[in-house]
Amino acid sequence: MRALTCLLMVAYIGAAPAQAQPFDVPPPIGVSRPVTIAPPVLRTLPNGLRVIVAQRAGLPLVTVELLVRSGSETDPDRQAGLASLTATLLIKGTTRYTAPQIAQTAEALGGQIATGAGWNHSFAAITVVRSQLVPALNLLADVTTQPKFASAEVERARRNALDALNVAMAQPAALAGMTTGRVVFGDGTYGHRPGGTPTSLARIRRVDVARLHGTIYRPDNATLIFAGDIDPQQALHLAAVSFGRWGRPTRPLVTPAFAHGRLRESAPVALDMPGAGQAGVVVAARGVARDAPDYYAGVVLNALLGGGYSSRLNQEIRIRRGLSYGAGSSFDARRSGGLFAASAQTANATAPEVLRLMLQEIATAGDAPAEPTELDARKASLIGEYSRSLETTGGLARQIAGLETDGVELAEIAHVIARVSDVQPSAAQNFARTHLRAGSISVIVAGDAAQFGDALRAEHPDTRTIEAKRLDLDDPALVSPAPK
Amino acid sequence: MIGVLLLAAGAVGAMPAAKLQIPPLAFTERVLANGLRVVAAEDHSSPTVSVQVWYDVGSKDDPDGRSGFAHLFEHLMFKGSRYLRAEQFDRLTEDVGGANNAGTGDDSTMYENVVPSNHLERLLWAEAERMANLNVDDANFRSERAVVEEEYRQRVLADPYGRLQNAIDTRSYAVHPYRRPGIGNIDELEAASLEDVRAFHRTFYRPDNAVLIVAGDFDPKELDAWVDRYFAPIERPATAIPRVTVVEPARVRDARYTERGPNVPLPALALTWLAPSARSPDAAALKMVAALLGNGESSRLNQALVYRGQIAQDVSFSADLRVDKGLLVALAVAASGTSLATLEHALLAEIDLLATKPVPGAELAKVRTQLLTQALLGRETPLGKAEALGEAILVGGDAQRVNRELDELQAVTPADVQRVVRTYLTGANRVTIEYLQEKPAAKAAPGGTQ
Repeated sequence: MRALTCLLMVAYIGAAPAQAQPFDVPPPIGVSRPVTIAPPVLRTLPNGLRVIVAQRAGLPLVTVELLVRSGSETDPDRQAGLASLTATLLIKGTTRYTAPQIAQTAEALGGQIATGAGWNHSFAAITVVRSQLVPALNLLADVTTQPKFASAEVERARRNALDALNVAMAQPAALAGMTTGRVVFGDGTYGHRPGGTPTSLARIRRVDVARLHGTIYRPDNATLIFAGDIDPQQALHLAAVSFGRWGRPTRPLVTPAFAHGRLRESAPVALDMPGAGQAGVVVAARGVARDAPDYYAGVVLNALLGGGYSSRLNQEIRIRRGLSYGAGSSFDARRSGGLFAASAQTANATAPEVLRLMLQEIATAGDAPAEPTELDARKASLIGEYSRSLETTGGLARQIAGLETDGVELAEIAHVIARVSDVQPSAAQNFARTHLRAGSISVIVAGDAAQFGDALRAEHPDTRTIEAKRLDLDDPALVSPAPK
Repeated sequence: MIGVLLLAAGAVGAMPAAKLQIPPLAFTERVLANGLRVVAAEDHSSPTVSVQVWYDVGSKDDPDGRSGFAHLFEHLMFKGSRYLRAEQFDRLTEDVGGANNAGTGDDSTMYENVVPSNHLERLLWAEAERMANLNVDDANFRSERAVVEEEYRQRVLADPYGRLQNAIDTRSYAVHPYRRPGIGNIDELEAASLEDVRAFHRTFYRPDNAVLIVAGDFDPKELDAWVDRYFAPIERPATAIPRVTVVEPARVRDARYTERGPNVPLPALALTWLAPSARSPDAAALKMVAALLGNGESSRLNQALVYRGQIAQDVSFSADLRVDKGLLVALAVAASGTSLATLEHALLAEIDLLATKPVPGAELAKVRTQLLTQALLGRETPLGKAEALGEAILVGGDAQRVNRELDELQAVTPADVQRVVRTYLTGANRVTIEYLQEKPAAKAAPGGTQ
């Protein structure tokens, strides 16, 4: 937290005159007040369930989340979407309650049970006012440990997922985004679509869902997180009452082997969507795992390139040229490996220009270190965003869940600010030079190819054009060999 | 305390529907001699402060032939003033760990910042500066207009349901300027000039048409002194502020329209009715109606159309209440294989049920708890607190409404629900918009006028 103070002073040291304040320059900044981050309390129940409590006084709200430390990386071959569908189905019926009863109960408590799966985790979470915590916690225990997975519900969830997928595939940036994993990771673990595809969703049976639940939803693979207006001792008592009888299976927890996968597509991929109102442009590359030594360098490099409004990509594409409503990038560090992806949506005709600017900015970031003033500003932005995320009970729970998912010590929650501050310009540059080299970058452009195809091929003669309706995300080759 | 909690731990969902105790949002209010209203909500739970300026001008005030102008103007407020360079707001916020944003509504426009609290004085200076001395050059004007045109393409043309969203206001109002979508269109954005920008600023961006809201970690004495220093010298113009006086008449008949788009994966349907003002005594009951029908998985429309009937992929119901007449909108995307006629029939059946059968007390209690919890979640941060105050003042017409509104929600009875459904829904005229895939033969040039 001292680091935050120092950083803020450095950023504006030259612009803060001490004499009587004229109106033509910004007034000086005052003395900063530190961000205080209380360390969360951790206890492990006899059944192996980790319980973490982060008390935050203020409004009478509590977020409680049951985190399972496995997710879409466990999807079996040909069953993309299984972990995600399983999480969706948790709240669609238990041995005691039907799906409507669960929704009714949660909403009568003022909340909603959100469920989902990421690459390395699955979760169910609810935020309620403190007076409703006990019934909310009991409901959470019921849906995570006693789900029924009735066949009718599996069918319903499948239909809904298929319709939602259909809608998403009509949107250029969404289509480019969902194709990225396959292009970057090929036949690797991260190559499949975690939300599933029309073919893979059709293959999933009730028994597959129940088997996955039995395999990964177990107390010694889970963490119960409380964040908000709750005393740690009280929370630990409640955890023991609600989840203490959740049995730990005797068989060992098996984690599937991770495959990095071959990089399937080095040529730019153009997905043709006739009539699309804009084009989505994505430039992506393999990133690093959360435990990589250059993880924080990657975080800062991403902030410099595409995190926030003032990042380089948004400066060049939106602010300077008006080519998009917003350009940015994401840096997703997972338990093994990770993904860096820059993206923007632009008029179809300007897609090649936006692509050129993205490639140029990525190259520049590796060619030369950023000026310390530029990097300090982006680091301050990251730190501020992080600090503000801890202001809500939901944000606090998410930060803790992130650390648990990645197997990072809880103490890290108080060290993030210093770690970000410590990243030097040369470290950020090295990250770009190492991981975002020209030869390891993938390109996906989705839109009305009639309006950009020729220009794209002029600059990238090896561009591979695929009709969006023939795209097959189950196939590392992107199009299934047999005509549909 | 622990004992009591454990006692209840065996039962799920059997809690009695006791009234939730929501702590009121405490704030102070004053008015400067130049007409600027200043609202302050002190809270030291984190070392951040939100500075927001809400102007009483919105898309309904777009000049003739300049649909989308209030929103374009909002973007230009970041493009420099006498002593601020373009994007300097980002230097004063993002670069020191803060953030900024802005939004244009039908009735108002808001500019919001959140910064570490030791930066409060700078943000007050900067907001006063752009209120008094906006100065945009031609290059910045053109590049930002291009950004807004991309925003239009992203929201309206690239989103598979963007054209439907865009048609709702246009088809729902007969005469009120609310009928022009706030995002505008490419032709009218292209027609805008720098002179329009100066005139709009002169006309609407003035202290007597604005509310300054500060929430979070500040010292009230310091705040007062800084506000006096930076905002009090701004002159109040002698000219009157133009106001929209057009009154949308009650509908005399139902109407039906068909809209089409080039990439419509599943057909969709919108039903709209006119709603009374957000300041009407019926506003709370209508918010309850919207929540009964559309808030959450257990809501009536979701249960009937998505869960039980499996005829909708998605359904929503909103009470879009405004300063003048607003809209009640039911929106449904068909599940694959379902006709829009089936969807329409089911939507109307659920609304009829609300008109004919009193809502059970437990269901009303559920919705009350949902709305109060959601309000509380919105107030966790300085940013959220200031937004709640801004909405209460500019749309609700009174800062006290921020607390009163929650009391009013608690007081809504089953009879109130039935009465407003009959008055504004089943007893009123409806506009129906069907949204379908373009016929291949009728395919227009993609991208609109570029």
